[in-house]
Amino acid sequence: MTTPEDIDGDDGGAKTVVAEYVLGLLPAGEHERIGRLIEDDQALRAERDFWISRFGALNSDYEEVAPPGHLYSGIEARAFGAAAPPRKASIWESLLVWRSIAAGALAVAVAAVGFNLMQPARDVASLTTQLVAALEEEGSNVKFVALYDGSGNVRLTALSGEAVPQKDFELWAIQGGNNPISMGVIPVGERSSVTIAPDVLAGWGEGSVLAITLEQSGGSPDGTPHGPIVAKGAVTAI
Amino acid sequence: MTTQTPSQDIADLISRCAMRDRAAFRTLYDRTSAKLFGVVLRILRDRSEAEEAIQEVYVKVWQRADRYVAGATSPISWLVAVARNHALDILRARRPVSDDIDVALEIPDAGPSPERAAEDSDERGRIEKCLGLLDVERADAVRGAYLDGFSYEELAERYAVPLNTMRTWLRRSLIKLRECLTA
Repeated sequence: MTTPEDIDGDDGGAKTVVAEYVLGLLPAGEHERIGRLIEDDQALRAERDFWISRFGALNSDYEEVAPPGHLYSGIEARAFGAAAPPRKASIWESLLVWRSIAAGALAVAVAAVGFNLMQPARDVASLTTQLVAALEEEGSNVKFVALYDGSGNVRLTALSGEAVPQKDFELWAIQGGNNPISMGVIPVGERSSVTIAPDVLAGWGEGSVLAITLEQSGGSPDGTPHGPIVAKGAVTAI
Repeated sequence: MTTQTPSQDIADLISRCAMRDRAAFRTLYDRTSAKLFGVVLRILRDRSEAEEAIQEVYVKVWQRADRYVAGATSPISWLVAVARNHALDILRARRPVSDDIDVALEIPDAGPSPERAAEDSDERGRIEKCLGLLDVERADAVRGAYLDGFSYEELAERYAVPLNTMRTWLRRSLIKLRECLTA
């Protein structure tokens, strides 16, 4: 039973719950609930990462044991089978192609449209449910992956890049020949989620280009980009 | 090739997996599967279960590679966390449902906020030093919870103390550990 002492007492139940979560000491239902709370809160994620890192120092106690060789094919079948149904688009999965997407976002946007015509007809839902963009730029170490799962939000993961003092990174959508539309200031060094505004959603889909610029703190004051592009990439289906 | 630390290499491979690079996934598996198999084997204590679990672990790594945040944890810590969590999920699913823990979630407000620790190797001495400040049995209980995935029930049995005593031990130990680790 929960007693007030569990929460407020000197055994520190509430204060240690993130550590208990990381250790895996919470019962199933509680583990899931706390996991969701942590996922939604930046301070709690930092606390979780703190414990993962510090306990991670004990990982050398885990002995290395080679798994049997036959397991890998099973993993591939499950991972790739579920994530990407077999189609001719395997070229899109190579890193070189991703790199060139980022290098020539516009050209690839055109190519993607042509490429799409060669694909068997897919319905609108499947076209909009799984979109991805790799955002990078030559000469910049800022790299993001953007994933769109059809929910109206773009999930951004910073792969590399550092925050710049007195500056903010701002995300832009470029669609067709239109001016960039700001999607807001985004954090670096962590995952974030950006809701797609109606004006962006109207033209959203394969061929849309996402770009990140370095703007003054708080973002561009007038809705047009001023700073350098530090990363960009075309949106494509996966 | 520029020289990279093994940790940066692993981080790169995870990033490439996020970009759906299958060859990178294979390399990541070759480089890290012995460690992660060691993790699930130690926690599950059953070879055939561990063989099933390691496959699910790498499917999760492929699916969640975009969630790895460079700098928040070292890449190998992140991978071990995926493996540990999966093995612990399996253990938890086996245990009878208990509803006797219902704590509010609160971030410790005393003391400095956690700084990022991207490299574990430097941390080994630090956590050992901090565990060394605890009673031997309590430090062992923390280690057992982390490395073997022992539950409060298993720990209580192991150290022959009532369940609530075990909980109090461990929570107090975690508070002390946090103070020491952030000092």
